[in-house]
Amino acid sequence: MKFSEKYSSLIPVMTVYALLFAIGMTVPGMWQPVAFIMFYITLGQAFNIFLGLTGYVDFGYVAFLALGAYGMALAVQNFSGLGIGFGVIIIGLVLAMIMSSILSLAVGAVALRLRGAYFAIATIGVNEGFRYFVEGARLWGGSEGIIISGSMRKLFGRELSNYISTFVSDIFVFAIAVIAAVVTIIILNRKMGYALMAVREDEDAAKVMGINVTKYKIMAFIASASFAGLIGATAWTLKMTYVFPSDVFLITYTVEAIVIVMLGGAGTLLGPIVGGLIYGILKYYLSIILPGFQLLVLAPLLIFIVVAFPEGVVGAIRRKYTGEMTRKYLK
Amino acid sequence: MAFFEQLAGNLIYGAVLGSVYGLSTMGLSLIFGVLRIVNVGHGPFIMIGAFTAFWMFALAGIPPLVSISVALVIGLALGFVIFYAVIRRLLNAPELATLLATFAIGIFLEELAKFFWGPDHRGYSWNVGDINLGVTIMPYSKIYALISSIIIAYLLYMWFQKTKLGAAVRAVVEDSEGAMTCGIDVGRIYALSFAIGIGLTVASGVLVTLFVPVGINPYMGHEYTLKAFVIAVLGGLASPWGAFYAGFIFGLIENGSYTLLGLIPGVEPFSLTRFVAFSILLIILLIKPTGLLGGGSK
Repeated sequence: MKFSEKYSSLIPVMTVYALLFAIGMTVPGMWQPVAFIMFYITLGQAFNIFLGLTGYVDFGYVAFLALGAYGMALAVQNFSGLGIGFGVIIIGLVLAMIMSSILSLAVGAVALRLRGAYFAIATIGVNEGFRYFVEGARLWGGSEGIIISGSMRKLFGRELSNYISTFVSDIFVFAIAVIAAVVTIIILNRKMGYALMAVREDEDAAKVMGINVTKYKIMAFIASASFAGLIGATAWTLKMTYVFPSDVFLITYTVEAIVIVMLGGAGTLLGPIVGGLIYGILKYYLSIILPGFQLLVLAPLLIFIVVAFPEGVVGAIRRKYTGEMTRKYLK
Repeated sequence: MAFFEQLAGNLIYGAVLGSVYGLSTMGLSLIFGVLRIVNVGHGPFIMIGAFTAFWMFALAGIPPLVSISVALVIGLALGFVIFYAVIRRLLNAPELATLLATFAIGIFLEELAKFFWGPDHRGYSWNVGDINLGVTIMPYSKIYALISSIIIAYLLYMWFQKTKLGAAVRAVVEDSEGAMTCGIDVGRIYALSFAIGIGLTVASGVLVTLFVPVGINPYMGHEYTLKAFVIAVLGGLASPWGAFYAGFIFGLIENGSYTLLGLIPGVEPFSLTRFVAFSILLIILLIKPTGLLGGGSK
């Protein structure tokens, strides 16, 4: 395959990102909804690298976001006195990636031996166990969490720290979405992508064919987890300026990520974007039109979509239209 | 000796509470055993049962033990409706689809409950006196909950062992294709098992109300979903009986470890208890995924 053909499916993805960015920047009052929707797209994009490519349902995915959030908070809390200014945020991003990768390595080495429902339940166990350990052993401030708004103001001054939490953090999320999409397409086009596809279809057969199943699964797991860490560090810690264990370990975020990947179509590049758009727009506007009742409308809608498209929207389109255009642009 | 008295008292309480834990997990295990579906929206069904008990008591003064049968009927009806409306269409879909559908059903139930009954905590007190057990004082209502759980579990066991329909369910668990060739209507068995699973869960919600200290509210279910996962895995995930026994074990571990962890200074024993519970879950999954209690689904 030619280089251009290999990466042509990035075009629709980047077009959507650019459009969203342009709408947010030019239309007054649209930045907030765009950032809201972008959070879900990015979350879906990151989760898709693991769930979509391997078919393993990680119900404890939010733990990686949580560790990323703690990584950033710890960096700001501990290094704000060093006088390195913006460098603290860089350290925070690196720490977020390291912490979530280490957890994913530990979980992956152990839990990836399990399959299906057993894996899903084990990962719930990791997430909840970690949360209660943080609270119970009073690690990182225990259930009181870490509040960094004071350190941020000392570091950057009132105005700049406001700017960071209302704008720069969202730009970070955009950047993560772009990198995650590029990483996804690179994986899909390389040996790893084909190996993971084999794993998803039939893991035992893949093993017999001589594919190092464990290696590729763990690689996908770590990649997905480090993106999650970055999302947690930027979309949560930098934006909210606090980290509470009862918020960041909330299983609802895992399920939202699953919903997005599932809505769009697991394992496709465009899937998380379609899913993120549908979910983000519905959730944002339902909460404005019907404040307090958005979930009452969203839940039956989700049930309907799952029943109508068990393979996701992009999956259904790909099944229906198998032409050249689809192959080229819908990956 | 005060410590040992406290420990003994907590362990007795743990065993009594454990019986309700066990009952509330049987439905989850039954559904997984027969349909291979993890009901991620398990807890909200417990909440429905809890509200059934609350309203029966608050509006008509009907004691919870009588409400169990009402809750069972509500649960069976809910189970059949959900099976034929949603689950049946997803039996051949990827695992992800059923996980998502059951979760969405759970949210829908919670939001309906919030819509009709509001988000606040509600409680009722069914006071039928206390019994002094020497190391602790236990309300009779909790003792009745223990007895009811055991009776319901036993009745279900007899139904499985002694009736034709029960044998058909066991046959489907064993080998659904084989069961089909023997002339068993597997689709009907799926529907029936799902409905019984939901019925049991809703019924157990009635008994749960006898143990909640702060009252019930639409979101009370989450906690029980997570506990039910741990208990189900302890019991072998696909076995309702395993789940029932595992409920006792979980109750003992939860309340016993709470007493012990309380001795460590500078920690929150309540949270650490849950950490212990989930650590046990992981250890069991890794060394013996078929559950602590030996066998599999048979």
